[in-house]
Amino acid sequence: MVRALEKYIRPGVKSTPFCPGCGHGILMGLILRAIDDLKMDMKKMLFVSGIGCAAWIPSPHYNGDTLHTLHGRALAFATGAKLYNPDLCVMVVSGDGDLSSIGGNHLIHAARRDIDLKVICANNMIYGMTGGQAASTTPRGSKTSTTGEGNPYRPFDLCKLVEGAGATYVSRFSVTQPISLIQSIKKALLHKGFSFIEALSPCPTQFGRRNLLERPEDMIKDLIRRCILEEEAEGLTEEERAEKIITGEFLS
Amino acid sequence: MTGIKQVRLSGFGGQGVVLAGLLLGQAGVFDGKYISGSNSYGAQARGSGCKSEIVFSDGPVDFPHLTTADILIAMSQGAYNSYCGDVREESGLILYDQGLVTPKENLRVRHLGIPATDVSVKRLKNKQAANIVFLGVLIEATRIVSPGAIRKAISTHVSERFRSLNLKALRTGMELGRKAHG
Amino acid sequence: MASRWVKSPFPKGTYYFSGNEAAAEGAIAAGCRFYAGYPITPSSELMERMAVRLNEIGGVFIQMEDEIASISAVIGASWAGARAMTATSGPGFSLMQESIGYAAFTETPCVIIDVQRAGPCTGQATKVGSGDIMQAKWGSHGDYQVIALSPWSSQEMYDLTLRAFNLSEQYRVPAMVMADEAIGHLRETIRVAAKVEVWDRKKKKGGAPFDIEGEDGVPPMPSFGEGERLSVTGSTHDAYGFRKTDDPKAHARLVERINKKILNHKRSIIETEDYLLEDAEMAVVAYGFTARTSLYAVKRMRKDGTKVGMLRLKTLWPFPDEAVAEIGKKVKKIIVPEMNLGQVAGEVKKYVPCDVISLSQTNGEVIQPDTIMEMLRKI
Ligand SMILES: Cc1ncc(C[n+]2csc(CCOP(=O)(O)OP(=O)(O)O)c2C)c(N)n1
Ligand code: SF4
Ligand SMILES: [Mg+2]
Repeated sequence: MVRALEKYIRPGVKSTPFCPGCGHGILMGLILRAIDDLKMDMKKMLFVSGIGCAAWIPSPHYNGDTLHTLHGRALAFATGAKLYNPDLCVMVVSGDGDLSSIGGNHLIHAARRDIDLKVICANNMIYGMTGGQAASTTPRGSKTSTTGEGNPYRPFDLCKLVEGAGATYVSRFSVTQPISLIQSIKKALLHKGFSFIEALSPCPTQFGRRNLLERPEDMIKDLIRRCILEEEAEGLTEEERAEKIITGEFLS
Repeated sequence: MTGIKQVRLSGFGGQGVVLAGLLLGQAGVFDGKYISGSNSYGAQARGSGCKSEIVFSDGPVDFPHLTTADILIAMSQGAYNSYCGDVREESGLILYDQGLVTPKENLRVRHLGIPATDVSVKRLKNKQAANIVFLGVLIEATRIVSPGAIRKAISTHVSERFRSLNLKALRTGMELGRKAHG
Repeated sequence: MASRWVKSPFPKGTYYFSGNEAAAEGAIAAGCRFYAGYPITPSSELMERMAVRLNEIGGVFIQMEDEIASISAVIGASWAGARAMTATSGPGFSLMQESIGYAAFTETPCVIIDVQRAGPCTGQATKVGSGDIMQAKWGSHGDYQVIALSPWSSQEMYDLTLRAFNLSEQYRVPAMVMADEAIGHLRETIRVAAKVEVWDRKKKKGGAPFDIEGEDGVPPMPSFGEGERLSVTGSTHDAYGFRKTDDPKAHARLVERINKKILNHKRSIIETEDYLLEDAEMAVVAYGFTARTSLYAVKRMRKDGTKVGMLRLKTLWPFPDEAVAEIGKKVKKIIVPEMNLGQVAGEVKKYVPCDVISLSQTNGEVIQPDTIMEMLRKI
């Protein structure tokens, strides 16, 4: 981690726990940059996460209050803490499996209530921690350890899901779009209400290896190639669009 | 067990049996008694048979549910049929709605027929007040709680909108009680 | 860490409350200012009263999307500094179990009231049962302790809810009030004192929030936002909350401590009551509503000359092993009437040499005095 951000890291933390090339490590830094840009008071920040590799992004690394909860339940814990102490700036950072599969019901209800929570969903389209099983975000046709023939089901469009449920700030960016992602995190931090950022984050170990993206850099390149802005998508044919990932701010 | 009096109010759902029980128990508390009350609950309270049971005592009660009724108020034939056999013989008392219940003849329990629903409809213009008419009769006939306590209970638990109706029903009941009892 | 006496938020006096309402008032008196719950019969009146009361006095009430969310929000609020609670019944209690384990392992004070109904499964939703006694202790995975109390009156729904909060704060442990439908809906005379004793959780700036501080084995507990930069995790952790997921010593140490901190204090946690036991040859061991029935039956039998007494378990967990063992030495036979298939009877058997007879009833109704008297006459 770059020197300037060291003050945001809990003393005693020596290294990140992620695999080489894991997007979660990049995201970990980007969130801190946004916090640093806004000069947020870490003593008033509470980071809540569930269970999974992504849930380790804040816990115990960030030097604020961190609450590492149960698989799927981060938003429920966060709701209790925020309602009781509204002075806390509560950010939830967790995985796609955590927030949208096992925790999907809490996600839509937290969005519906529009409680001031800043949610960053590190979406690697797979269950990283448990060995690469299919998630509710795994693209159709992708190979996982539970879909050897390719995932037969459609994935959630998380941004549409939370927007439909009532979120008041919604965006999707990839860790390969660091400037936009930092910008978006800052907006979420300043937004009053339920903000949701889907941060695309590659999992080379569990997703890449199974899907013809052998090396970590293949995954990064793939994301760079596929992530486009809404405007850019306009000129594309149906086919061309199908393999792209539309990023941007959808609701602000 | 001396000093214990057990009252069962019964009828069908919607007659205000549970409210009457609440008021009676609350009045007992105002009078300084130890009260244990329980009612029908869930589906029972909604439609079919409905009851509310109050145990009055001068000290803490062990078993808080009713074992044998000293007093039964029966606001429907169904309720009467279900519970008339479970009233203490000789010293017991059954108050029943004259217009709705035909009492059995062979029971060794004192019966008082009260035209509660009839009076509610005609004099109070509201058949929902029969429950409170019964409370008035009960108090006049037995003094199980004081009139002051039941009035206080009504102002504690009945919304302002219905308070004067209920107090009037109470007075009406007490008059009926005086006649029937006296 | 200490207790202090505060003015009761509810005026001193005598009231006519249902058990569920009384529990809500007990919680408010204890300083509960956060409630999260999900409706379920027969506990819903408790939640409804909390909604009204917390609104009146400026606490937080939220109806969550399910019971998992409810208990989880309670734990989040507790770390934000609240005395927090939820209430439920069987199906909801089942859903809460994973989070209850989380609260035990992270040493989070919280109160759960289980107004038990006739299970298993959806069972008879409006009917009484006490089939969740073992679940209260063993419902979540792994070895942990909870405190579980058993009220037998509306008054005790107030008193024991208050006590549950105090024990929970004092020992940093989930505390449960194992009520049942009959007690939840029983309306009785209850007395509210002018002042109530409440415990505050221990605080110490810079203190290790997850290791032993002082003799009681209960570490200090700061809240979020106090600048302590807490790290709370349900994974095995060290004194300052760093994950230790591969260290055998760290795991053994933590698991042992969260168990010992309760078991070492069981004498101050456990409460039992003796009735007519001095010369008894038989004893009824009972709890909850059934203890009321049992006492009635025991007094009746005494009138007929039967030498029978009763031990009432006011605390169920930690289990009152010493009190039970004591009775076991004195009497020839023990009967345990309960609205389940012998959950506490099985526990009693562990500690006594004499005969233990389980008097089970699982028909959704309270056990009647006659049933107990008949059994006493038979044996
Ligand atoms: C109740 C429960 N079920 C299952 C698990 C096992 N588990 C741990 S992490 C995880 C998946 C995490 O996936 P995600 O949230 O996408 O995070 P990632 O590891 O991909 O970053 C699962 C299924 C658990 N911890 N708890
Ligand atoms: S398994 Fe995947 S998500 Fe987990 S640390 Fe490794 S690369 Fe990252
Ligand atoms: Mg994932």
